[in-house]
Amino acid sequence: MRQTQVLRPASLSARALWDDLARLVSYRDLFITMLQHRIRVRYRQSALGYIWAVLQPVMMVAIYSVVFALLARVPTGNTPYVVFAFSALVPWLYFSNGLLLATNGLVSNASLVLKVYFPRELLPLSYIGAAFVDFCIGCAVLALAMAIYGVRPHATLVWIFPLMGVATIFLIGTSLLCSAVEVKYRDVGLAMPFLIQLWLFATPVLYPLHAVPARLQPFYTLNPMVAVVDGFRSALVLGSPPDLQLLARAFWISVVLLVFSYAWFKRSEVTFADEI
Amino acid sequence: MPLDIEFRNVTKIYRNREMDAVRVPAHRFWQRWFAPRASVTALNQVSFAVQRGEALGIIGQNGAGKSTILKLLARITAPTAGEIAVTGSLSALIEITSGFHPELTGRENVFMNGAILGMRRKEIASKLSSIVEFSGIGDFIEVPVKRYSSGMYVRLAFAVAAHLEPDILLLDEVLAVGDFAFQRKCLARVDQLKREGKTIVFISHDLAAVERLCDRVLLVSRGQVAHEGKPRDVITEYQQSALMAAEPPKRVGKMSRAVECTGFTYAGRDAAHPESVRTGEGLTLSVDFLAHQAMSGLMVNVYLYWPSGYLCAQLSTDLGGFAVARGAGRIEFDCPVVNLRQGLFLVDVSIERNAEVIDWRYRCAYLRVDPGDQPAAGDLYMAHSWKVSTFRPAYPAAMSS
Repeated sequence: MRQTQVLRPASLSARALWDDLARLVSYRDLFITMLQHRIRVRYRQSALGYIWAVLQPVMMVAIYSVVFALLARVPTGNTPYVVFAFSALVPWLYFSNGLLLATNGLVSNASLVLKVYFPRELLPLSYIGAAFVDFCIGCAVLALAMAIYGVRPHATLVWIFPLMGVATIFLIGTSLLCSAVEVKYRDVGLAMPFLIQLWLFATPVLYPLHAVPARLQPFYTLNPMVAVVDGFRSALVLGSPPDLQLLARAFWISVVLLVFSYAWFKRSEVTFADEI
Repeated sequence: MPLDIEFRNVTKIYRNREMDAVRVPAHRFWQRWFAPRASVTALNQVSFAVQRGEALGIIGQNGAGKSTILKLLARITAPTAGEIAVTGSLSALIEITSGFHPELTGRENVFMNGAILGMRRKEIASKLSSIVEFSGIGDFIEVPVKRYSSGMYVRLAFAVAAHLEPDILLLDEVLAVGDFAFQRKCLARVDQLKREGKTIVFISHDLAAVERLCDRVLLVSRGQVAHEGKPRDVITEYQQSALMAAEPPKRVGKMSRAVECTGFTYAGRDAAHPESVRTGEGLTLSVDFLAHQAMSGLMVNVYLYWPSGYLCAQLSTDLGGFAVARGAGRIEFDCPVVNLRQGLFLVDVSIERNAEVIDWRYRCAYLRVDPGDQPAAGDLYMAHSWKVSTFRPAYPAAMSS
């Protein structure tokens, strides 16, 4: 049976958003194909290929270890600094790489946006998917590093699933918003590398959470990545469950942001082609 | 018949804040946020409908709003006001190679492009061999498409598109790709879709293709539907307006106009409708002139041009020339049979003497030829008669043995 679709000017309603979600689900095949495409293209015609997915976090850990462990002597308790930093960098890189790529997701595929219809959120989402694949590779390397340094995993590691869920919700929320704004104002994409650098230092990746002064903590923990990164490290390496209060707050902030971003994205989507 | 596409008072306005070249950040900032927006009204209250199984052509000059209609239908952009109802699945073949990634192989790109055009992965997998065969790419299917020639690129993209099974098909200039053989293949596929009763919207500058494919044509001009009707009529209308806009009639002459052309008229054989000229019937062309002095050795030419601008035919008085007295006069050319096919022809009139131009009226009129009673395809109509003869079988014995 043929369905009638009515195309109207950009508008905002819960009903329309629900329909958009249903349409997104019906385009899952395109998502899978785009994701494959991202993964394949990423390292094509590079001599090392997929080894780069391993090399990138390893080199970052090496640099930070020299700076923070040898020179700045950040206190990490009984945990070797390499494991301490690596266990936080892996979820952090998922977020930062995903955000960086997804922000440019629409603009770098302008030819598609101008010529073909499909739910536009598939473009940023496909980059997030590719970042998740890198995250999985990073986890394997992290496991190897833990084995080398003799750090035993704990049963609390099941917590990484809800933690990564929150990280993904937050990542999708920020990516949809940034990529939509980037279409109109390329300033977002230009500022993003600095923003991410700043964000890294505002997240307990290279230093422990308790190093942050107590009076700053209420503001500091507004950043959902604080709960994610700190929780990931304690669940995996330290064997203690994440701070649930922090995690719940991060979850709600992420969900609200996601709903807002998705509405914003769909509202501006219909004129992306005019403004890109 | 149900309507597959309905435009209801659709308006599309493109807004852009004007950005000039001043490179002072504060000024740019001011412009970004506060400067008045320049707006372009691409479509203004456009309404039309397409029936199921109909092939609609949309023609018009560049910037008339054709592409905006296509973009709105393809959901690439949304209308500013009004609404568009689309019934059934719609596939747009607009710049079909845009989904290609140079680093991916042909096979990977087939999956990518097919998915972008709305095919399921299973569907693509089952059609893959047929797609490869249609494209004629052969073993290159496993090679990254950046190693392809541009023709191979487009052929592969069209092969994917040709395997879509939409209810409604949007076509751009995509048919004008590839070599001659491939174009024929593409046209055959479009014809097949049309025979299957698919609804087609075809937007093109290729008027011949529009006429061949479409049942009805819209002429879009300045964001509005200026004309709507049978392909031939609308195309003629469009050519006329386009030619008028492009080439205002003007005069060329070397000598002081001792003899001046003052008018050109024509008449068909139907006394009640002399403006109607039909293929296969008679035609009289008249050139009015005004001689400021008596003169001999004159020659008058009428040139007819195809709509494309090529010279089609010349009518002229004898090479020996004729003499006129001072005053006004008229020359009549009588053609017993019009061999021209239906269409709009441009007319030049020249008056010469000893191979020197006295007056030349450049594109001074249009000659419109309507179809005659007989079917006639091709560039020209050849006047002919015909008869039937029957013969007894020449070799009855051989036939029966």
